[in-house]
Amino acid sequence: MPPRLPHADPGTPDIRSPLRYAWWLARCQPWRVFRGSVIGTAWMVGLSVRPYLIARAVDGGLRTGDYGALLWWVAAIVVAGIALAWLGIMRHRTMTFVREDATARSAAVVLRAVSRGGAALTRKLDAGEVATVSGSDIGNVSHVLTLTGPGVGAVIAYGVVAIVLWSVSPFLAMFVLLGVPAIAVAIGPLLRRLDRAESVYRREQGALTAQASDIVAGLRVLAGVGGRSLFARSYAGRSQRLLLEGYRVGAVASWIFAGIVVIPGLFLAAVVWLAARMAGAGEITIGQMVAVYGYVAILILPVYFLLEGGYQLIRGRVAARRIIALLKLAPDGTAEAVTAKTPSAPADLHDPATGLRVRPGELLAVAAADPAEAIALADRLGRFAPGEVTWGGEPLAGMPLAQVRERILVDEHDSYLFAGTLREVLQIRPELGDAQITAALHAASAEDVVEALPLGLDTPVGVRARNLSGGQRQRVRLARALLAEPEVLILIDPTSAVDAHTEARIALRLRSARQGRATVVIATSPLMLGRADRVAHLRDGRIVSTATHAELMETDRAYRALVSRDVDSNDDLDSDSDTGFEAVRR
Amino acid sequence: MTILPVADRKGVRRALVDLFAADRRAVAVVLGLHTAASISGLAAPWLLGKIIDEVVAGASASAVDRLTLAIAGCVLAQGLLQRFAQYYGHRFGERAVAGLREDFVHRTLNLPVSVVERAGTGDLATRSSVDVAAVGNTVRDVVPVIVLASAQLGLLFGAVFLLHPLLGLVAFAGLPSTFLAVRWYLRRASAAYLAEGAASAELTDALTTTAEGARAVEALRLTEARIAFGRQRIGAQWATRRRTLALRSVFFPVVESGHALPVAAILLAGGYFLNRGMVTLGAVVAAALYLQQAIEPLDRVLQWVEQAQRGFASLARVLGVGQVTPEPRGAAEAPASRELVVRGARFSYSDGHDVLHGIDLEVRPGERLAIVGPSGAGKSTLARLLAGIDAPRSGTVTIGGCPVTDLDPAERRRRIALITQEHHVFIGSLRDNLRFAAPDATDGQLQSALDTVGADWAGELPEGLDTRLGDGAHELGAAEAQQLALARLVLADPHTLILDEATAALDPTTARRTERALAAVLTGRTVIAIAHRLNTAHDADRVAVLDGGRVTELGSHPELMRANGSYAQLWRSWHGGSSNTGAC
Repeated sequence: MPPRLPHADPGTPDIRSPLRYAWWLARCQPWRVFRGSVIGTAWMVGLSVRPYLIARAVDGGLRTGDYGALLWWVAAIVVAGIALAWLGIMRHRTMTFVREDATARSAAVVLRAVSRGGAALTRKLDAGEVATVSGSDIGNVSHVLTLTGPGVGAVIAYGVVAIVLWSVSPFLAMFVLLGVPAIAVAIGPLLRRLDRAESVYRREQGALTAQASDIVAGLRVLAGVGGRSLFARSYAGRSQRLLLEGYRVGAVASWIFAGIVVIPGLFLAAVVWLAARMAGAGEITIGQMVAVYGYVAILILPVYFLLEGGYQLIRGRVAARRIIALLKLAPDGTAEAVTAKTPSAPADLHDPATGLRVRPGELLAVAAADPAEAIALADRLGRFAPGEVTWGGEPLAGMPLAQVRERILVDEHDSYLFAGTLREVLQIRPELGDAQITAALHAASAEDVVEALPLGLDTPVGVRARNLSGGQRQRVRLARALLAEPEVLILIDPTSAVDAHTEARIALRLRSARQGRATVVIATSPLMLGRADRVAHLRDGRIVSTATHAELMETDRAYRALVSRDVDSNDDLDSDSDTGFEAVRR
Repeated sequence: MTILPVADRKGVRRALVDLFAADRRAVAVVLGLHTAASISGLAAPWLLGKIIDEVVAGASASAVDRLTLAIAGCVLAQGLLQRFAQYYGHRFGERAVAGLREDFVHRTLNLPVSVVERAGTGDLATRSSVDVAAVGNTVRDVVPVIVLASAQLGLLFGAVFLLHPLLGLVAFAGLPSTFLAVRWYLRRASAAYLAEGAASAELTDALTTTAEGARAVEALRLTEARIAFGRQRIGAQWATRRRTLALRSVFFPVVESGHALPVAAILLAGGYFLNRGMVTLGAVVAAALYLQQAIEPLDRVLQWVEQAQRGFASLARVLGVGQVTPEPRGAAEAPASRELVVRGARFSYSDGHDVLHGIDLEVRPGERLAIVGPSGAGKSTLARLLAGIDAPRSGTVTIGGCPVTDLDPAERRRRIALITQEHHVFIGSLRDNLRFAAPDATDGQLQSALDTVGADWAGELPEGLDTRLGDGAHELGAAEAQQLALARLVLADPHTLILDEATAALDPTTARRTERALAAVLTGRTVIAIAHRLNTAHDADRVAVLDGGRVTELGSHPELMRANGSYAQLWRSWHGGSSNTGAC
């Protein structure tokens, strides 16, 4: 029976050790695994039926000239062939179900871990690791479960062939039963040697592919500055080095493949020789002699299965260890110490470090001489960084995190945009309808973004909205933050990438969109500052003055220099234009 | 909506024929060796048949010994022949793949910029990684296996014919069902496996992006939404895998049931012929063993044939890049003056409606011109026309009287550079990352270019100019990468720079550092800046206001302020409640 995926609840994984993790994946589907073992065994044993039937057909039909008996044996061969094919596909299906159930379960627990990981995850985890886990580790662990089906089958099949051979000749049986594993063990290291020889090649090949992708990614830069021939030559040089490495691999690999042909071939010759001598001496029949030849070939399969299973186990253990490491990064959520309640009504948010106080319902702008200080301030206010911040007089750090996140939102300058249609990007709660989305886009002056897209809101945008321009991305981000409708919204430079016309509109609309709720905007553009209720001037870690934009322009010389970049009046201040024309003139 | 072409069947076939023809001798040697190896491989069952006949005839032990030794000799010969066949085949495959990939990169580098931009880098990136690798695997691994296995199959069936032509005819009895199953499967498999691969990649994407955006997930409380999204991807992956499993569930049993048919037919017919004394028992047994032996290469072909099909699909996409007309080598003489003139330029993107409606603009050598205007006014489009990336639909853009698009691309880049928000650090040393802008530059010149843009960090790198950058080696931050881009400009030394919001996507701290570096680069050049910050316009020699694809105002800042048009209005509102704007 095919599993129903994704699982409603993937369950709690056993992360005490890699093998326990794999065992947990099997334990979650005991009946399917059992069925896999039974069918796998039946299939493996069934493989030895054809040589047996051919031998009987030779002995009982061909040699004796009994055409009726031959007819029966041939019919049996055809029926057995169909039965074997049926068993084969049932085994394959069942084991695919086992592996896919495990894959979906692993993916679900990893998904849960990264979704709940939170801001701390980005510091502890590289996205490349997640890609490795998802791209190969999950699959490798699932492959370990193959041992439960054909693995068990291989052991039993080996035993069955042993018994049949024993009935032919104990001496031949001993020779074959010990010889085949010996050969498998002899060939195993050869295969691993090949693996090693190829690993250098594969690494080089990966680097070459990366270089080609790199050239493609930088094509536009090359178009702007030139230098294409240099890159073509460098790629060709590397490609030729890979070619030579390929020749080396080819030399080693071809000898190994020859060994894989010759070693079992010589063993088979030895078996034939023994059997023929025994047949000549009348100890076994001609049919039995042919059957022994067939059994040797058949035995190779279960033995290889077991060897392969061994490698899968080694690889799967490494993979499971990486999955477990990732799962352990996720917070369990129970350790949080709650010492304070969130205020029951909108209240002052206060940062003692800078002296900033955010009042309920106001539009407060923070103009910072050093943008890094402003970002640190925002992180403290939103509890993304430790601080002494109080909310309604109580320490923010002691409040339940979930409630803080619900009511205070810090939207970073480059906050992440997930892939999806534009509607999906904006619809951060399922209950948000098109009317609300349209209103938020209007407030962010982003209607033209939607209009420019071929399918409007239904146009897919890539990860980080890379197919939008910087200004479009910024406005989509702003619309998304507005749709969250937090009690306190903290925006970091929300209009740095839009033109002055658009910025003027956003400044005006943001005010009405956030009417009655506290909004903190970190910005240095006079268009934005001029619309704020109050502007706080942050310099050297402290709020040095707070008033309206107009008042500060009158009274605070450093502020005036900061926002109007009046370089003549204040040489020690940083300039901030997007071309630096004035810096040239200095 | 792929824009890059894909080679058709004929094109792929021609490319394959060319590939083999180019290395004719090697191909002949490989085929010869493989055939010889397969023939020695066939000897074992034939000799076994001989042994049986000898034993039935009551032969001596020494005859058995001799025949067995012959078997061992054949096995050794087969091993040796196979070794060399494989080795030369491998070398041929490596050469063919190297040629294909180098050709691909060469052609990619010569694609016109406008084609690259319209196609997007996604399609090209897939072709350069997934498709080139798939072609590599196919040519190097899959094609030899299929050629070898097909040769073995041919010889095995041929051997049965040799034993007795009638037995040979009978042997084909089991093949029609296999043939039909393969045809059925191949028509469906490629699309299904591609969908499976895409679904797996999408699940990986869902997981990695969730991890990358972990802070946004927490801040915007998207945990449940991300889990729901990921679950959907898990479900989608399962759906595609069920589809491929369904295909295998038909294909495998039909083919495997077919394996028994040739053996059964041989035994049945063999018994009949044996009774009439037309064949020996040994011949029938040997034929049965040959057919039993044929199962393995047959399975091998079936196992790889689908991958070969996919490899050819990739080859079609790799070859497709070569069908784009490469960027023309401009014929025009190098212009004497550096005056940029736009006359009546109109431009439309593929959807047909004009973005620019007749632009007239003269940029004087050495001047600083700011272009301002609302989003969608056509500022970036104008920048691309000025840089010669696109040609106007009508009207002209000339430099020193010569149309910019007629200049040789390399020549043009030496004169006019376009700098956008995009920057790219190439995998390679810091030196590689700079030198392509000026291939003849000395280390001292590279160093001074870095100094000019204030890239102090370069001095602190462990191995100086030899430090590897990108791809897991030393990663540069956004500001450092932008400084690197500017250092390239210093080296390329164009007389005209077009800046299209070069720092807009950077965070404020980074933007500020970059701007200081930029100032050093601008000295002594003609600069055209697309600006969204009005203080840029204030500092420029002239300001062009672009609105709805037309230049609506043009003049110096004081002139425009006096004219009291839309620019003046915007300037005033930009300064908000400030009363002393006049002091600026």
